[in-house]
Amino acid sequence: MNLHFSDTDHDFRARAREWLTANVPTTQRAAHGPQAARFDRDWQRKMHDHGWAGVAWPKDFGGLGLSGLQQVIWYEELARARAPHHINTTYISLMHAGPTLIARGTDAQKSFHLPRILNGDAIWCQGFSEPNAGSDLASLKTRGVIDGDHIIVTGAKMWTTDAQHADYQELLIRTDPASERHKGLTWIICDMRTPGIDVKPIRTMMQDDHVNMVFYDEVRIPLSNVVGEVDKGWSTALATLSFERGLGFIGDQLELYERVGRAIDLAGKVRLDDGRRAIEDDGIAQRLASIKADTIAIRSMTLADIAETDRTGEPGPKGSMMKLMVTSTHKALSEVVGEIIGWDFLEFNGDRTDHPWTYDYLWSWIFSISGGTSEIQREITADRVLGLPKAR
Amino acid sequence: MYLAPDGDEIAIADAAAGFLADALPMDRLHSAGSADLNAAQCQLLGGMGWFALAVPEAAGGSGLSAVEHALFFREAGRQCAPVDLLAQCLAANMIASADMRRAVIAGEQGVALAVADGDGFRIFGAASAELALLVSPDQTCLYELSGADMRNRPALDPANSIRVAASLPPPVEVLAGENIWKLGQLGTAAMLVGLAEAALDLIVEYAKVRETFGRRIGSWQAVRHPCADMAVRVEAARAELWYAAAAMKEGRADADVHLDAAKHLANTAAHANADTNIQLHGGIGVTDEHGAHLLLKHALVLSRLFGSKRSLLARLLNARLDD
Repeated sequence: MNLHFSDTDHDFRARAREWLTANVPTTQRAAHGPQAARFDRDWQRKMHDHGWAGVAWPKDFGGLGLSGLQQVIWYEELARARAPHHINTTYISLMHAGPTLIARGTDAQKSFHLPRILNGDAIWCQGFSEPNAGSDLASLKTRGVIDGDHIIVTGAKMWTTDAQHADYQELLIRTDPASERHKGLTWIICDMRTPGIDVKPIRTMMQDDHVNMVFYDEVRIPLSNVVGEVDKGWSTALATLSFERGLGFIGDQLELYERVGRAIDLAGKVRLDDGRRAIEDDGIAQRLASIKADTIAIRSMTLADIAETDRTGEPGPKGSMMKLMVTSTHKALSEVVGEIIGWDFLEFNGDRTDHPWTYDYLWSWIFSISGGTSEIQREITADRVLGLPKAR
Repeated sequence: MYLAPDGDEIAIADAAAGFLADALPMDRLHSAGSADLNAAQCQLLGGMGWFALAVPEAAGGSGLSAVEHALFFREAGRQCAPVDLLAQCLAANMIASADMRRAVIAGEQGVALAVADGDGFRIFGAASAELALLVSPDQTCLYELSGADMRNRPALDPANSIRVAASLPPPVEVLAGENIWKLGQLGTAAMLVGLAEAALDLIVEYAKVRETFGRRIGSWQAVRHPCADMAVRVEAARAELWYAAAAMKEGRADADVHLDAAKHLANTAAHANADTNIQLHGGIGVTDEHGAHLLLKHALVLSRLFGSKRSLLARLLNARLDD
């Protein structure tokens, strides 16, 4: 048990801090629309041109080949420098699609796509969930029929974040019509400019249009775009999801401590109806302090988990417990801030920049539902951590 | 950076677990007269050197660190070990007089734990204990109990007897500084983490065998999900415990913040897990015969020692971590 970072790690932190301090964008990112995607591409290209792209990727594929602990350092320095949030339109390409291609893609797929992801040219979206296949992903029905050297895709995908900005999609379809559940699926790269694709935004409770339904009407995708094998796509999809449950939310985990500090500062300024400052209210002060302790523990959990993964080389089953802890803490923080800021909490124009706390309060449900609901995370924990008898 | 037992630490934790399962098994608490460390148990533990893991070798200890101290008390918590075990250990780390320190380390002289209660004191520990330790965040006082006027009080938690004293004689030793408080905070946090783990283990084992409506209860989501929440609480409290222990060992400036956070998370995890463990056991969980209530009652004692909820949260609100 020790808290030492190596000399190499300290050196990496110093270089990251120096570069970020000088290069973090000073202009505000637009909350929505093409300008937001443009901003993300520009920031990614800047990081790429200065040798900071692909922190989680192996060096052989153009990444930095950082250890898990060095990635923690990177995200801590991003937060310190108030850099653009890493969950933006480049998130799926860098955290999902790229790692999946590195693990399972052909040489041709890797050499074409990976450089375009790293330099910000290509934005990707995910195409897993469907109207009747969310938590129960294996019940998906979007069908793919092999026709010569193409697969013809027909169906609908749901909750596709940033589909309107994406160049490519990681698409999971059923290629064996007689198959059920996890069998007969195929993971394929879909070029979003292919004819027959229709993107329809779904307005969320935050009044934004980041997520979409995507409809496919006989969309022809080359067979050479299959990642892994035809009808064996579940295995590729599990690889994709494992990246999310490993380090996918690390930035959020580490950022929570900073956010609770801002909430405590806010509570020191805002006055309640009775004229006292919010921080003088025992109930509010205790809740803030308890949430702060949780955020301190979340950082320790993150470090413990990542140090273990660096040692074993395999992410363990603890990602689900981490997500439960992080999402519940995030929600508790949003709720107490809602009480602190009183009537102002009810003003909302749908823009995270203008109303960050209200936006994040509404977003807390996105956080606890997307990427596996809290209920699914409890199921995974019961099965894989506790070894309880199967519920199904 | 590594936040789990490693190398020799694993060997020490395993040895402590094996020893305590024999010397102080939780089942002892179903027998009358099992409260506190009795003189024989005290000497047995002393003979093995368990009271002096973190005491420097020059002072008669093992010269280990806060990390081994935490590993030992986590195992003690799993067995609902009495709090005078901690008092004995803290006294071994505090006493200046070489003869007295040697006798305490050897377990020949017992030490009870004193806490301030209004103008008086409450004493947790055996009637045979000749000494009592009162620890506060800035100093530690050692008292001789002979001649003190103490009255027995009935104890909710069978792990320790409770006596009250309106006053204590002048201390025989006083040590200024926060080190003993920190070791006490780390020790109680570790015991609470062990207790929270024990509660989780009990219900998980039961849920794998107990059947209702033709199914093992561990297959019902109404049982699975609260068990998963117990696991999350353990995971968070344990990670923060290891961080605090390592921060104390390495003399980090923010060790006190991590100790407060560790104690707060351990308080919460132990109480909530002991509660859920009783509830998910159903009827058997409220019987005296079952051990579930022992965990709850012991958690109530430990959570009041070395930082209760109010005091910890007041400190944490304005605390700052180092970069």
